[in-house]
Amino acid sequence: MILRSLLLRQGRFALPRSTLIRPFRRYLASQIEETYTNPHQHQQFIAGADGDATKSQAATSLSAESEVLDNDPVALNYALQQHSKAVTGKIGSMVEPHYRPHELLSNPPSPKDITLELLMASQSHIGHSTSLWHPANAKYIFGVRGEDGHPIHIISLDVTAAHLRRACKVVSGVTERGGLVLFVGSREGQARCVVNAASMSKGCHLFTKWIPGTITNGQQILGKCKKKVVNHKDEEVKGFEDQLIQKAAVKPDLVVCLNPLENYVLLHECALNNIPTVGIVDTDVNPTWITYPIPANDDSLRCVQLIAGVLGRAGQEGQAVRRELALTGQLPARQDHGLEPPAEQETDERNSRDKEHGRNLLQAGDV
Amino acid sequence: MESALLRTGFRRAMVACQNPAKRRVARQPRRFFATPVEPQGEASELQSAPDAVYASNGGRAAKSRARAERVNKDRAVSDHDQTFQAAPQIRFTSDGEQFSSSRPSAELIENDTASRRGRGGYGGGPPGRGGAASYGRGPPNQEDDPSRNILRHIRIVPASPSYFTATPRYTDDLLALSALLRKHQLLPLLPPGEAPRVAWKTIDQYKTELAEPIRSKSYNTLLQLLKRLNYIHPSLIPDEVTESLEKYKRDVQPHLNVPNPIIVNQYGVAKAVGRRKSSSAQVYLVEGTGECLINGKSLTEYFGRLHDRESAIWALKATQRLDKYNVWALAAGGGTTGQAESITLGVARALLAHEPDLKPALRRAGCVTRDPKRVERKKPGKLKARKMPAWVKR
Repeated sequence: MILRSLLLRQGRFALPRSTLIRPFRRYLASQIEETYTNPHQHQQFIAGADGDATKSQAATSLSAESEVLDNDPVALNYALQQHSKAVTGKIGSMVEPHYRPHELLSNPPSPKDITLELLMASQSHIGHSTSLWHPANAKYIFGVRGEDGHPIHIISLDVTAAHLRRACKVVSGVTERGGLVLFVGSREGQARCVVNAASMSKGCHLFTKWIPGTITNGQQILGKCKKKVVNHKDEEVKGFEDQLIQKAAVKPDLVVCLNPLENYVLLHECALNNIPTVGIVDTDVNPTWITYPIPANDDSLRCVQLIAGVLGRAGQEGQAVRRELALTGQLPARQDHGLEPPAEQETDERNSRDKEHGRNLLQAGDV
Repeated sequence: MESALLRTGFRRAMVACQNPAKRRVARQPRRFFATPVEPQGEASELQSAPDAVYASNGGRAAKSRARAERVNKDRAVSDHDQTFQAAPQIRFTSDGEQFSSSRPSAELIENDTASRRGRGGYGGGPPGRGGAASYGRGPPNQEDDPSRNILRHIRIVPASPSYFTATPRYTDDLLALSALLRKHQLLPLLPPGEAPRVAWKTIDQYKTELAEPIRSKSYNTLLQLLKRLNYIHPSLIPDEVTESLEKYKRDVQPHLNVPNPIIVNQYGVAKAVGRRKSSSAQVYLVEGTGECLINGKSLTEYFGRLHDRESAIWALKATQRLDKYNVWALAAGGGTTGQAESITLGVARALLAHEPDLKPALRRAGCVTRDPKRVERKKPGKLKARKMPAWVKR
């Protein structure tokens, strides 16, 4: 390779430096070995994070050179760019492990990683102006800080940590017993963490406005949304579709609300229906609205994503315990579903009849 | 001996009167003997069968056996001498917690054959996990086969995690597209304005398909995502993106409906069609010396009016190619002006097939656009399409 470049640059028959030759030369160049390996690669900023999780999601989806079938110059240039990035990206200064915002979403911390340092770094101690506080929050407040004109309340982080750990226990306890957790966060930027937390706990998410009456008037609002019957192994069980049509709308067993100020209607409906709630209580929020408050900063996206991530992980752990119990056959059984065993013979007859007439079975929840 | 028995009997009866639960327990000894009692020698055989059922319940079985013996002695005198067939084995339960308040009162017992139940009875089972899993739970049972007691292990859950949004299918679509975009957002894009033209589904079509109340604002958010994904360079667009976009395209893409191109065939002839009013003309244009035949007649024979003759070959006249091409036209329908103008359009289109660079010139000459005007129909209350009858004061 070196000889080739010498010839091109200093040789008597030096070729003109045209744009055509250079890309092809690099394209055919041998792989540059990694001369530098990061000694701090094994150190993880957030426990449990692995090397793959630190790469951006876009980087992992890049197509390899072999997958570029087209001779389109755009595709070739893109492949070249990815190749150079892969080869030369690690050369240079030593990058210490540091905070990367996307990791809160792609690899959130676990309840055992809750530390006061983490909470402080996520700005969860920052409350609102002292003139806007709710006095019932006094026991969560550490003190007042700020300039003379604009003092703000500071939330005690040890209190926050304790309440957050308790909330994690509640979430994991509910998921262990096969309960449904609903994560709600309707502010801008909270959608992704809400969806992630719900998927980890195998619950439901809501990142748009709560429709008043979703619980109290569920039949009207959620009447057309489909339900299904699952067994202890979370496999769908067929045969109950007719019964499901008559069943009331599903209610969550626990509601986690990331912005209670905007969702007071939701919290009121939960209270009317004896559904426990977990919520982030800032200094201006009424803590009596929520069953298990977490005193923290609801305006900081980093804090909200941290709390949602931690609660999602707690739900994930509860689901894992539930899965283990299900596999060994020691699962607690809920008897409040009110379903009757599907009459197998009747369904077979109905199936054959419908096939003859060419009608489709009316699915539960269909118009 | 007998007095002691009577005393215990009375005591039991008093207790039974006070406590309804114990009433059932008190009756149990009688249930053990549904089969008629036989003389002592054969009684042991009968007892051996129930013993098999109680194999694992040592203490309890012993007590019941003792009680059985006592009652046997009482009954031996009163029974008649008929010989009976042994009744089939009866299913008993020695479950101590069967009437406890934590146990649900309704229990589905499916087609249990006696042999299955009788095989070993209920095992003790490992103790439950401390504190956890105490929700309406019966004794942890190794024989509790989920496939048999299906109702005990099912629960109703939402079909989608977006259940509480009241528009679950729309929300799931939105989340899927957002995830796709996030995954492929670094792929190169086409220059602005050069994305492939796509007719996306209208909001009404989408709403009908999903059967959900979706606002136009929500649908516009979805459309923005689709348009952004459509901009990914076609040489690098992943298959999953292409597949996802197909779902949102209209069944018929109107812009794909392009007319067949007019080509010059092997003999140098270009055939084009022109229409005006209710006339249509098929025109064959070939390089030649300037002859013109319409329906087999020459230009002067067919069109009496000079204006019509001129307009029929206006395309050639405007581009000064009157002597370069031969025209063979078949006009039908309408009247003279309509047929003449339709030939104009046909000649212009055929000429563009021969020389596409003449398009700006022909456009300036007014030969390229198909005149959409038609004769307006007569309306009731008017004398013609627009002409009103004379206004009368009274």
